[in-house]
Amino acid sequence: MATLFWSALQAVLDGLLTGSLYSLIGMGMALIFGVMRIVNFAHGAFMMLGMYVTYLLFDQLGVTPYLGFLAAAAVLFVLGVATYHGLLRRIAERSEFMIILLTLGIAQMIIGGAQLIFSGDFHKANSALNTRLLHLGPHLTLNHGDLLSFAITIVLATGMFLFVMKSRFGRALRAIAQNRYAASLIGINVQRTQAVAFGLGIAAVGLAGGLLLPALYLYPEVGGQFTLKAFVIVVLGGMGSIEGAAIAGVVLGVVESLTSLYWGNQWALVVDFAIFLLVLSLKPAGLFGSQRV
Amino acid sequence: MTRRRAVLAAAGFGLCLLVPLFQGAYHLNVLFHVALFAALGVAWNLVGGFAGQLSLGHAAFFGIGAYALPLFHDKLGIPIPLALVLLIVTAVGAAALIGRVAFRLRGPYFALATIAFAEVLRLSAKNLDRVTGGDVGLQVPGLFGPTAPIQWFYISAVLLTAAAFTATALIVRSRFGYQLQAVREDEDTARACGIDAARVKLQAFMISAAFTALGGALYASQISYIVPDAALAIDLSERPAIHAMLGGAGTLTGPIVGAVLLETAQELFKNVFHESYQLIYGVLLVLVVLFLPEGIVGTIARWRRRQRAP
Repeated sequence: MATLFWSALQAVLDGLLTGSLYSLIGMGMALIFGVMRIVNFAHGAFMMLGMYVTYLLFDQLGVTPYLGFLAAAAVLFVLGVATYHGLLRRIAERSEFMIILLTLGIAQMIIGGAQLIFSGDFHKANSALNTRLLHLGPHLTLNHGDLLSFAITIVLATGMFLFVMKSRFGRALRAIAQNRYAASLIGINVQRTQAVAFGLGIAAVGLAGGLLLPALYLYPEVGGQFTLKAFVIVVLGGMGSIEGAAIAGVVLGVVESLTSLYWGNQWALVVDFAIFLLVLSLKPAGLFGSQRV
Repeated sequence: MTRRRAVLAAAGFGLCLLVPLFQGAYHLNVLFHVALFAALGVAWNLVGGFAGQLSLGHAAFFGIGAYALPLFHDKLGIPIPLALVLLIVTAVGAAALIGRVAFRLRGPYFALATIAFAEVLRLSAKNLDRVTGGDVGLQVPGLFGPTAPIQWFYISAVLLTAAAFTATALIVRSRFGYQLQAVREDEDTARACGIDAARVKLQAFMISAAFTALGGALYASQISYIVPDAALAIDLSERPAIHAMLGGAGTLTGPIVGAVLLETAQELFKNVFHESYQLIYGVLLVLVVLFLPEGIVGTIARWRRRQRAP
């Protein structure tokens, strides 16, 4: 009985740690959807790029992923802004249908490009931090790397939330989300604001990729399942709600971890989608936070 | 569709049926895939193009067709013709179920829900290995006996495309077809005019699922061995949509043009550019969205209309 309790508690703790990174991925997606109504099918592909940036720094210069993720965020921010100006801005007025196809095409381009440059080989960045364990009493263990990335994620997610909710720029973002035309009338530079929002969303998923690097094998198609997870998180949290995505990411992490414990790892993604479909059919506005970005 | 166009279409499909007389197995194998994807594109177009509902979960029906054939025939001992009927019934039933949930949602939510259903099926097929063989896979019986040549499969794929094309052509000019297009243009207005939008969308979805499932069965039988990551891949949902878009969603011939261009292009790229074909595929898709939003057939049609106008 006691062991059952401790293994469940361990699973919840592990879930919280992974879930915090899911939150970051979901917040990026929510920001992009909230401000631009873009359902970003290239989200996971951008995350994979963030992982490669972090990996290259680790492999070539020996920079630990727990610092390298900053470079990934910077590179992906620039890339996101460029993608917005080069591609997304041109079809802003077209149907959702077209925008979805465009992001699908962008994802194919990024994955294809990565395949060409880095080949399909698997890479792994082992950090010494991940082998050092922290024992909480006799039953619970956590590794230092996960804890560090959890701390970093909390800081970043809080910062992102405050930035969107409190700063002048964040108010402009939310104004555009409410009514793009009215926002332009009161002097908000819609295109510049949207470009920055897209850049920030992409930077968020890129740095989450960097922080996930020590935990995953890296190859060009690694992002695919994270695009799907980001959809689940964003729907769970209410499309476009940043704080909703943050909570939903953690919930998803814990649910996955408990599913793995009781039914096996292979059912985790099935449970994700089951939740997703339940929420979509019963409460399409999402479980948490009705407030839009 | 005018009589002249009907004759042209019939002649076109007839010519396609003559190809096996001149081509060897390798080319027929490529052409089989082209024809198969043309059929899938035409089937998808009924929902995605004419009803305007962006389904990205058609892999579910493809996979149901692919898996139902060996499950019904080998595991339950049902003869092939009856198994084909049953797999259509299964796919149509699944479409009714999925549609009932997904069509309550609009726009991106609908697209995401269809993806989720297809992924649940793929992952379940991987995990329920006692039924589906899991990642080890499943042997598929030959539709035309154990050692049928590729010719049979190619001809079946062309006939499937022709059937889906004819069904679409008949639907588009029917009351049902006009109702679908009204829903695409403006769902709220269509409903205000007394169109049961939920019903017509669901019916289109079910018809589309039936053709897609047959395509899946044909594919499975041709490669004779299936695994979840091949027969239920997300890629199988995206490709028919991309083909239809490139050719022109909501046009009769668009999906066929798109499938012929992209599938042959992909085959060429694979041989010529090897690793980079996916990159080129992505670039093509982006270019089409940016510069040919109505697709090839759609753009040509508009250009001709403009020429004809005084």
